[in-house]
Amino acid sequence: MAQPERLRSDRDSSGNGAGYVGALLLVVAANVISAILDRYSTGADLAMIFLAGVLVCGVAWGLRPALAGALGSVLSYNFFFLAPRFGFRIGHAADVLTFAIFIAVAAATGWLSGRVRDQARLSSHRASALTALLAASRRLSAAATQEETAQVLAEQVSAAAGARAVVMLANGHRLRVSASAPGEALLTDADMIAAQFAWDKQVASGGGAGAQPAARFTFRPLIGVRGRAGVAGVEVDSWAGADDERLVLAMLDQGAVALERAELAAAMVENEALLRSDKLRGALMNSISHDLRTPLSTVLGSATTLIDYDETLKPEIRADLLVSIREEAERLNRYVGDLLDMTRLEGGALKTRSETTDVRDVLAGAIRRVERRLEARIIVRDFPEELSPVQTDPGLLEQAAVNILENAIAYSPDGLPVDVAVYEDRRSVVISIEDEGRGVARTDIERIFEKFRRLEEPSDRTIGGGRNNGAGLGLSIAKGFVEAMGGRIAAASPIHGDHGTRILISLPKAPEPPHPTISDYGRVGA
Amino acid sequence: MAVSAHRPRILVIDDEPQIHRFLGPALEAAGYEPLRADTGTAGLAAIAHRAPEAVILDLGLPDMDGREALVRARAFYDGPVVILSARDREIEKIEALDAGADDYVEKPFHVGEMLARLRVAMRHRPHREGVATVVAAGELRIDLAMRLVKRCGEMVRLSPREYELLARLVEGGGKVLTHRQLLTSVWGPANAGDVQYLRVFVGHLRQKLEPDPAAPRHITTEPGVGYRFIGD
Repeated sequence: MAQPERLRSDRDSSGNGAGYVGALLLVVAANVISAILDRYSTGADLAMIFLAGVLVCGVAWGLRPALAGALGSVLSYNFFFLAPRFGFRIGHAADVLTFAIFIAVAAATGWLSGRVRDQARLSSHRASALTALLAASRRLSAAATQEETAQVLAEQVSAAAGARAVVMLANGHRLRVSASAPGEALLTDADMIAAQFAWDKQVASGGGAGAQPAARFTFRPLIGVRGRAGVAGVEVDSWAGADDERLVLAMLDQGAVALERAELAAAMVENEALLRSDKLRGALMNSISHDLRTPLSTVLGSATTLIDYDETLKPEIRADLLVSIREEAERLNRYVGDLLDMTRLEGGALKTRSETTDVRDVLAGAIRRVERRLEARIIVRDFPEELSPVQTDPGLLEQAAVNILENAIAYSPDGLPVDVAVYEDRRSVVISIEDEGRGVARTDIERIFEKFRRLEEPSDRTIGGGRNNGAGLGLSIAKGFVEAMGGRIAAASPIHGDHGTRILISLPKAPEPPHPTISDYGRVGA
Repeated sequence: MAVSAHRPRILVIDDEPQIHRFLGPALEAAGYEPLRADTGTAGLAAIAHRAPEAVILDLGLPDMDGREALVRARAFYDGPVVILSARDREIEKIEALDAGADDYVEKPFHVGEMLARLRVAMRHRPHREGVATVVAAGELRIDLAMRLVKRCGEMVRLSPREYELLARLVEGGGKVLTHRQLLTSVWGPANAGDVQYLRVFVGHLRQKLEPDPAAPRHITTEPGVGYRFIGD
């Protein structure tokens, strides 16, 4: 991070000792050179030697050392080299002109070089200020949230001003300190009043400003494109400098815009969340409408067909219509059960029991419940002969397993197996349910436990051939139940080349098995 | 019951096998020959190749919007189409009706109701621009050729607009007509959105024609969709 150089008001910085010492040395050198020239040659214009010394003084150290050098030169030149030698009396009137030229050259070069130096220093200061602003701008635009933006702004302003800085954001109309640098800033009541004044009146206030001078900070409103974004304060002691102030003000402008941007971004995210929940509600309504009405249509349609055309219908068609009424009533019942389960999960009304449970018993029960829907599919069991018990709610686990099995059955073609396996590792008992259906795209695998996922991809609807269970709530409920029991659930797909889906449920083992391990299960194929 | 020689073919386009399971036997028992399509694409192909006498179309198809299927079918098929939908949102029904559907039935439905709508839609197709008829509805006699309306044998005086509106409804012959369809044909396309006009004129007609205007029997409201004329 670029730390802006503090600008000292130092046009005469060369007025310190070094310049005068240099001037003295130059005068001495001029004297020595002149003495040598004087000895070995005649007619040399020794004044030029001294003039050169004065010039160097002016260029190198500025006005005052140059004048000192000129004075030294006048005195020593007059004393050592002008007749009468070794006395300060001036022999020729023309020498006065020489001395005047010495002084004039010193004044001109010293003043000019001082200005050049000042300008160089100023432009290097501007460059560093610009670097600081750029760095601030870069960091501000990288900040994602309002809090982060406020923190960056506080740090940058603090660095630029060389003083403690705070950034305050409004919560309604009350200001609160959102960020400060360096370290935590404790604001006094006077500070808070001054800050609030700056916010309300949109003017600078506090120490160093006209209003509310009791405060230790100078507060300035952060005015962005759309209005007030917050208030920034800089501690008064130890900071001054008109150039620094300009830099700080520029940063505050940047900061105000950045804060606004962060606020807009936050509003947008919130908006999107609302839209998503609207979409979910839409999907729910759609689902209830479709998934309740379709079986109801079948029941009502079949019943009215039977009533209206009883005599004309062939016996096998009558029987089929009756069967379809029963099946659709069952489907409705499952769907209503799903909706109730979901409501229990979402409403937090789910009470889990905790019993020492043999997972194999629960799975056998779940398989019995789905057997009637298997048709030409088979369930292949792979259960170990010995298995540690788990501490869980057998009812919920069975429902979770039924939901996963129904899903596997609905999505796997006739004649292909659904594999149900159980194994254990050191900490948990793991249930694995695999189908050889079309599988799920890798990108969608995380989403299969989402509610109503099926409705978002209506083309899936045909896969189960209408045997599909409800509104895509099944897996979502399974996940909810497993997690309510302290277990974990995960999905993997594809597992056999380009197809197949595996769902794993992992349940923590019961801490201390109260009974010896049960071992009455062998491998059974359904 | 049907004439045994020719059984009208009815194409059912629905992705739910359960619907076919009872609608097929019901249609057959009612003397039709049911045809089945599970997707919009298959449905369009069946309309093109089998030329069914009428189509029952579910709006919630997996491969295309039911309305899209309807618009595409209407490009080459002008037989009656009855919409079937689990969705009870008015907008979709109205869109489908405006796109050329003849009527709609909401799931769940009685088979009897479904078949009645189908019969109405099929009966009125051939007479669309046909011969003038005298329509009877209770104590009403409406002579479309003479532009005369009688109630219990007495002339009823209607303004030209009222008569136009009544005539459109009567020509519909029991089919639902959407607000837009009625407004466009009686007031012109510029007024297609002025449902309030329509309410006022329907109110006038009921005052003049219905035995009890508060409980209309002849000009019935389909809430949010349009109106129907129920004759004898």
